[in-house]
Amino acid sequence: MSEYESMVRRQRKWMLYLLSILVLGAGFTPYTRVFNGLILGTAISFYNLWLLQRKTDAFGKSVVDTGAARSGLGVFSRLASAAIGVLLALRYQEIFHIMGVAIGILSSYLIILFDMILEIIKQKKKVKES
Amino acid sequence: MGALAAAIAVGLAALGAGVGNGMIVSRTVEGIARQPELRGQLQTTMFIGVGLVEAMPIIAVVIALMVM
Repeated sequence: MSEYESMVRRQRKWMLYLLSILVLGAGFTPYTRVFNGLILGTAISFYNLWLLQRKTDAFGKSVVDTGAARSGLGVFSRLASAAIGVLLALRYQEIFHIMGVAIGILSSYLIILFDMILEIIKQKKKVKES
Repeated sequence: MGALAAAIAVGLAALGAGVGNGMIVSRTVEGIARQPELRGQLQTTMFIGVGLVEAMPIIAVVIALMVM
């Protein structure tokens, strides 16, 4: 498995862990509206992450095969999905908390950072041991 | 005026992200074209860079829609 594939797997795993914790929060705490917003935002963020991972892989393949970039990175799709999430939260304010959605949409970026920092720490430990 | 403010906010954020993404992607294409065996590492670096650059226009879209 390449470095990229293992990173993709780790990030998806972290996102699923986060989503499961949020579902537990929505089910067992009195802050259902906030957690509903967080779940909506995190689900959209998961879609954004999946799309970015897929598009980046397709981009790398096309560069290796043809020597030029044949596909985009899907920036507009990700902006549109974030806009849909916010519009849903604004339309159904009694179900979703808007700040929860805003924070949830940014969760994939936090996970990318968190995963990167963990990997750097692991690599430094390996270098020290060897 | 609210719609105009939202449009300017999203437009400027998208402009900055476009310039940043363009720089990242052009360097990655150069690197992969020179050394295709380093594709995995370069792709990983590009992914992290694009992800972090893109957070800004997404925050701009969210705030613009909330303020509008």
